[in-house]
Amino acid sequence: MTSGTVDLSEALPADGRRAAPDYPIDGAAPQIAQQPRTREEIANLLASATEAGLAVVPQGNRTALDLGRPIDRYDVALDMRGLDGIVDYEPADMTVQVEAGMTLRALRAHLAEHGQYLPADPPPGDDVTIGGLLATARPGAWRGHMPAARDLVIGMEVALADGSLVRSGGRVVKNVSGYDLHRLHTGALGTLGVIVEASFKLVPLPPATRSFAVRRPSVRDAARLAIELRDAALPTRALSVVAPEAAARLGLPDDAHVLLELAGYESALEAATSRVRDVTEHSGGGLDDAPPGAWDLLRDLAGSPDGVVLRLGVPATRIAATIEAARGLRGTAWGHLAAGSVVIHAPAIDVTSVRVLRRNVEAEGGFLVVESGPPALRAVIDPLGTATRDLVGALKRQFDPTGTLSPGRWEVGL
Amino acid sequence: MTNEALIRDLRDALGDAHVLHLPEDLIAYEYDATIERARPDAVVFPGSTADVSAAVRIANEHDVPVVPRGSGTGLAGGAVPVLGGVVVAMTRMRRIVELNAANRIAVVEPGVINLDLQAACEPHGLRYAPDPSSQRICTIGGNVGTNAGGPHTLAHGSTVNHVLGVEVVLADGTATWLGGRQADVPGPDLRGVFCGSEGTLGIVTQICVALTPLPHEVRTMLAIFDSVEAASEAVSAIISGGVVPVAVEMLDQEIIRIVEPQMHVGYPLDAGAVLLLEVEGLPEAVAADAASVVAACEEAGARELRVAESAEEREGLWEGRKGGIGAIGASSPNFYILDGVVPRTRLPEVMSQVNALADEYGFRCANIFHAGDGNLHPNIMFNELDEGATERVLELGGEIMRVCVEAGGSITGEHGIGLEKRSYMEWIFSDADLDSMERLRLGFGAGERFNPCKVLPTGHGCASGHAAEMRGHLATPGVYI
Ligand SMILES: Cc1cc2nc3c(=O)[nH]c(=O)nc-3n(C[C@H](O)[C@H](O)[C@H](O)COP(=O)(O)OP(=O)(O)OC[C@H]3O[C@@H](n4cnc5c(N)ncnc54)[C@H](O)[C@@H]3O)c2cc1C
Ligand SMILES: Cc1cc2nc3c(=O)[nH]c(=O)nc-3n(C[C@H](O)[C@H](O)[C@H](O)COP(=O)(O)OP(=O)(O)OC[C@H]3O[C@@H](n4cnc5c(N)ncnc54)[C@H](O)[C@@H]3O)c2cc1C
Repeated sequence: MTSGTVDLSEALPADGRRAAPDYPIDGAAPQIAQQPRTREEIANLLASATEAGLAVVPQGNRTALDLGRPIDRYDVALDMRGLDGIVDYEPADMTVQVEAGMTLRALRAHLAEHGQYLPADPPPGDDVTIGGLLATARPGAWRGHMPAARDLVIGMEVALADGSLVRSGGRVVKNVSGYDLHRLHTGALGTLGVIVEASFKLVPLPPATRSFAVRRPSVRDAARLAIELRDAALPTRALSVVAPEAAARLGLPDDAHVLLELAGYESALEAATSRVRDVTEHSGGGLDDAPPGAWDLLRDLAGSPDGVVLRLGVPATRIAATIEAARGLRGTAWGHLAAGSVVIHAPAIDVTSVRVLRRNVEAEGGFLVVESGPPALRAVIDPLGTATRDLVGALKRQFDPTGTLSPGRWEVGL
Repeated sequence: MTNEALIRDLRDALGDAHVLHLPEDLIAYEYDATIERARPDAVVFPGSTADVSAAVRIANEHDVPVVPRGSGTGLAGGAVPVLGGVVVAMTRMRRIVELNAANRIAVVEPGVINLDLQAACEPHGLRYAPDPSSQRICTIGGNVGTNAGGPHTLAHGSTVNHVLGVEVVLADGTATWLGGRQADVPGPDLRGVFCGSEGTLGIVTQICVALTPLPHEVRTMLAIFDSVEAASEAVSAIISGGVVPVAVEMLDQEIIRIVEPQMHVGYPLDAGAVLLLEVEGLPEAVAADAASVVAACEEAGARELRVAESAEEREGLWEGRKGGIGAIGASSPNFYILDGVVPRTRLPEVMSQVNALADEYGFRCANIFHAGDGNLHPNIMFNELDEGATERVLELGGEIMRVCVEAGGSITGEHGIGLEKRSYMEWIFSDADLDSMERLRLGFGAGERFNPCKVLPTGHGCASGHAAEMRGHLATPGVYI
């Protein structure tokens, strides 16, 4: 699994060394683990590793390292959590520049003091690092109602495999100077460069929020109601269809549900609540407050370490059918209407079923990602199903010609 | 002659009617909304993705450049065929392929005019949010090319935030989808990085966009100030007050005095500056947002606040804003549109510096711009027949860009780098940064012949030096709508 026995200790400050066995990926530990404290240390590490032909895997809070194919080689764990500060925060500009190892939780706390936030709610929770958040770029329940993190990035600094530190974008909220390389690194799983720092535009924290759960006799019924609620012009921040199995995990009765979160002024929420009541009563009732923590529980479920987690991109009108298909596979499933995503968590799913699901969604212009699952499954299924494989390969050869960064994430040797 | 062989191959592939090659026919395709000119060898009007692939392959076989083009309203020279070659004009591909109201997406060909898409969405209670001021004539493909913004970018984001996927023909003639019909397709965000690449990475042949619901209620207000500085203070105060209106546009006295006599939309002639403000949403939220915006304006010294009482009044206020640039064209022999961006808290001082610089150089300067985003558009008016005027205007433009960069800003907020600003790229990016941008271009397989001399300051056979490039921005009247 490792490339050789080159010793990088000369090039790396001793106080940044960490115990390599603490950094396993798919069961294998690296030779070296390092937690740099400056961007220059990161650049040096990458340059030395590239020269020595070693494979480096950047990592944040280590919650999504099984996303993508199992990597081919793993020599150096690059722990990004040593770079965890705010570089610049201008509340009046509503922009922030942060280091990649900072957790979303820590950032949220800073921003909340000024009534602002970065509206991202990725699974499995706020302990993700900003670098990991961007490198994985997965949507949560807010997606589609709020701009996604990938849409709020206005600038980035990245360390490339050859040790160069490069920037794109800037610190202004609107900017078309040069190529938006920060978008290229978004979703790239750290295979094209290591995100060192990112700048975001922010949005105001809503003055108030309110969440509802509406009980429905069937998933189809719930999905129909969700579309009615979507079309009812509400100050919605999240709108999801939850299958009975998932509802039970949230402390709801074992039935299909619609979960709805409204965000805005207290006065606007009052008015919106009565509109929600009208819509639900008109089509059968069942409106209640959502149980406390329901959204967080849903995020936990998406981030659960056991079994298999799939994410499917499907149009709003196909959410019910997709959830039903998942139930047929004994999966716990739910779907976010605006994001057009269905998440399926199952104790196990065989390769054939995943392929059938993928073929069905792809026929409708959608996609399927194996977000998490045993290496054996991820090795045969192409977890990311990337349609643009040739282009990704060509870009990989430009940005990381020696295959230093997480080789094999896209396919063997890539 | 190679040229004849090229024309013959193009005509064989696309049909005689869809290939222009006579000098008199090519003239209109020598420039965009700038006056930089260069003659292409041919202009083709593909009717399908296959046509685009064929045209690109033929250009490759003849080793001539390829330059994508929409309506040619670009303000950075991005569609100018600097080194000749084949201009691929997308205006014939203008079908709305699908408008799916239930799933809130539309699939369109790149030649669809922005406003035509808006009009098609409206009956469904939906809209396509990006609304550049040129929306009556610019194409969705061109908007993807420049990642166009507009007055409502402040709250709704620019083009990239509304594009789910694009089908593109790459430099080798192969077609592929980047992104798709759903958001958050796995892998590097190739869709995102393509938006705003100014026709240098490929040619867009189809676009899937996200549609959003029309707002329940819209309130448009005009806040009247005695000075640009006071209006700029109000912009900072509004944003930092925790309300992000959907639009915050500024017009200074110079532009008001140009627009109002021509358009009669109700801007007060004696105002130092006005802010055109818009909030939207549910009635309760609109009321609360409007109250907070009004309070911030009053605190910053607004002389008067007017609320548009009717749809006509609202449209009038917007008409004046969107037609503003055209009005300048009718009142000055030449003008130079600048596009810079600064952190919005720096607006008051930057606006003072811009106006002081224009005074120092002795030019009239009209400001009409997206203040909420900190996106400036000083328009410098001059007559190119005046001895040395052109050079001085270019120099002034450069100084204003410097002011933006020094304030922590950037050299273009929405018009792009194109041909015009390539040499300024070094002001904001290091050699290593630019090298990594070059890697992107190479990764997409876009070599020296694919829309050459655009975006990056490098490139063989491209004229460089400010004056040669900047001349492109000296717009003449009549170039505009
Ligand atoms: C079971 C499970 C499934 C998940 N599925 C997904 C999913 O499909 N899609 C998704 O987007 N998120 C997914 N997440 C959740 C999520 O959004 C991640 O947890 C989070 O974004 C990663 O943050 P982290 O700090 O833990 O990163 P890590 O887990 O440490 O790293 C995640 C990935 O990002 C790379 N990376 C980390 N830091 C950097 C950096 N600074 N620069 C470059 N690359 C870096 C890593 O190499 C790795 O490929 C999942 C989480 C779990 C537990
Ligand atoms: C009066 C006026 C007002 C304006 N207001 C705004 C504004 O508010 N906001 C704003 O952002 N811009 C504005 N612009 C600039 C311009 O309208 C935009 O840049 C617009 O997006 C260009 O569209 P187009 O179809 O005219 O493209 P063109 O000018 O033909 O091309 C623009 C660029 O995109 C590339 N391109 C065009 N089509 C394609 C394609 N199918 N595939 C790949 N690349 C392609 C070209 O190569 C070129 O680099 C304004 C211009 C004018 C004249």
